Amino acid sequence: MLAQVFAVIIFIAMFVFIVTEIVERHVVSLVCALLTMIFVFGIGMHSMEAVIETINLKSIFAKEFWYLSGETSGSSAGINWETILFIFGMMVMVEGMARVGFFRWLCMRIARLVNYQVIPLFITFMVLSTVLAMFIDSITVILFLAAVTIELSQLLKFNPVPMILSEIFCANLGGSATMCGDPPNIIIGTSLGYSFTDFVTNTGVIAGVCLIAVLVYFYLIFRKELRAGASKSVDYGSLPSPESTITDKKGFAVSCVIFAVAIVLLVTHAQTGLTVSTIGCIVAIATLVTSWKYAILLLRKVDYKTLLFFIGLFVVIGGLEQTGILEVMAAFIGKISGGNVMVMIAIIIWLSAVASAFVDNIPFATTMIPIIKSLSAAYGVDLSMLAWTLAMGTDIGGSATPIGASANVVGIATASREGYVIKWGHYCKKMMPATVMVVLISMLLIYFRYL
Amino acid sequence: MEKQLIISVGREYGSGGHEIAEKLSGHYGIQLFDHNLLDEIAAKKNLNMEHLKGLDERRKNPLSSRTVRGYSSSPEENLLYLQFDFLRDKADSGESFVIVGRCSETILKQYDSLISIFVLGDRDKKIERIMRLYQLTESQAVRKIREKDMKRRRYHNSFCDRKWGDSRNYDISLNSSKLGIDGTVELLTDYIDRRR
Repeated sequence: MLAQVFAVIIFIAMFVFIVTEIVERHVVSLVCALLTMIFVFGIGMHSMEAVIETINLKSIFAKEFWYLSGETSGSSAGINWETILFIFGMMVMVEGMARVGFFRWLCMRIARLVNYQVIPLFITFMVLSTVLAMFIDSITVILFLAAVTIELSQLLKFNPVPMILSEIFCANLGGSATMCGDPPNIIIGTSLGYSFTDFVTNTGVIAGVCLIAVLVYFYLIFRKELRAGASKSVDYGSLPSPESTITDKKGFAVSCVIFAVAIVLLVTHAQTGLTVSTIGCIVAIATLVTSWKYAILLLRKVDYKTLLFFIGLFVVIGGLEQTGILEVMAAFIGKISGGNVMVMIAIIIWLSAVASAFVDNIPFATTMIPIIKSLSAAYGVDLSMLAWTLAMGTDIGGSATPIGASANVVGIATASREGYVIKWGHYCKKMMPATVMVVLISMLLIYFRYL
Repeated sequence: MEKQLIISVGREYGSGGHEIAEKLSGHYGIQLFDHNLLDEIAAKKNLNMEHLKGLDERRKNPLSSRTVRGYSSSPEENLLYLQFDFLRDKADSGESFVIVGRCSETILKQYDSLISIFVLGDRDKKIERIMRLYQLTESQAVRKIREKDMKRRRYHNSFCDRKWGDSRNYDISLNSSKLGIDGTVELLTDYIDRRR
């Protein structure tokens, strides 16, 4: 009982400190992890075994961590090193791509393909945002896309805010489509043993259908605003050519190859048996070896704070899991739903969406994974269906408010620094209906396909 | 070419700091940036920023904002960064100006041409000034001073390491109640001329 009380207090304190940003979130999660070790596992449970299990270092030395010869099983409780290593590898690769100008080139190339026409640009940038976010973290996608959108808006004389808002939404939507698109998906995939293909054929299909609805929605609400200011007489000569954005031609070619290899490895990892940790290592090593001159620079640019945040978070959630608190929460959801699968899905998707709109979706998804596992075991509900429900709720819900997802924050900040300050009211007015619409479509598709 | 002069004026509410800044701007014939800073930015960027005036010199709300890799969703904070960038651009261009508040003593610290001033005042003198200027009762003036100073302190301290009004943060801190507005301006111009 004492351990449970400690685990809940530490968990709530962690959330409060993350939300208030009094100290940086990685410091919060690491301190809370330490407190979990001392108070939950030490004083509460007197269990050294729980500490070792949560730190989970032994998993790295297991063959299954790197290569799976048979059915995927998912990692055990505690720190999910597979997620950490994969995200690290992707971060190194993305930094390598950014260094050579890949993202700016891609945006400019597409802009030229649509002859710099505002509405086609608006549509293609939404699709581009979705597709890129399927493989690359949404922060990087928005960082480049928003910057190019502002640059083009100044030359083509249109208001960039509608386009940036649409790109943010699509980046979050794209993230939901694959296992590597959004951190909650990586954690869900590695924790429950799902492959890239599993995600694409389930959440990917849902995201694809939702994208069509989103394109229509944003076109209808923004078309007048975008057309209003668009200049008819543009000097195309003043626009930067796509080729001029490449800073290192050889490095650019190499980056394209590494990116293509990463996609192939991810798409085929269920067949090849290579785990995401192995793929993360391969792309990181390939990037560092081929850009050895910039290896130190690339390693410095990796967002270690996020990785440390994950490590601390896994320990705190491990505390909740070890003490059985999450089973209690699962039982509560089961009781409310009365064992009805439709109600259970509705609760998971809307609870995840609402929670993710206001708090970081990573700790929320991490907390929910053991809960859906318990629900599946207790009520005989298909676990994968609950996993896709959780993924869609957490990934999409974040779009509703300016603080819901990292891409929102980066997009808003990028626009604001150029004078386009986006306030809560304006953001929510445009994005909340889209979020509700997509969550609703997702829920109906889950009902239709799996029940 | 005239040597660049940047004067940053921090002030307690009711101390007459703004009026002093205006007089310094007039004395040296250089532009004054205060509430008009947003208009200047709007004109430069060809944008309408009227709807953002309520966010000026306000600290961010930690519950309704989030920071990711140094990027913030807070409109107050983003507006501030926009102002910082504008002021740094002005400073880089070699232009002389007077800037009131907006953490300017901290963000422009690296410029040799910066002279940072903090103007404070005696409580009774500040109350008297606010009562006179805004036709308020004493208790209303006291409340207004307290609220405004608290807002300025919170705003400043949430963005700067050094505390608002801490004399170590400024080149010169002085009490305008002792010499009056004109006397203070005179003393300051003497100080500024000696520094140039």
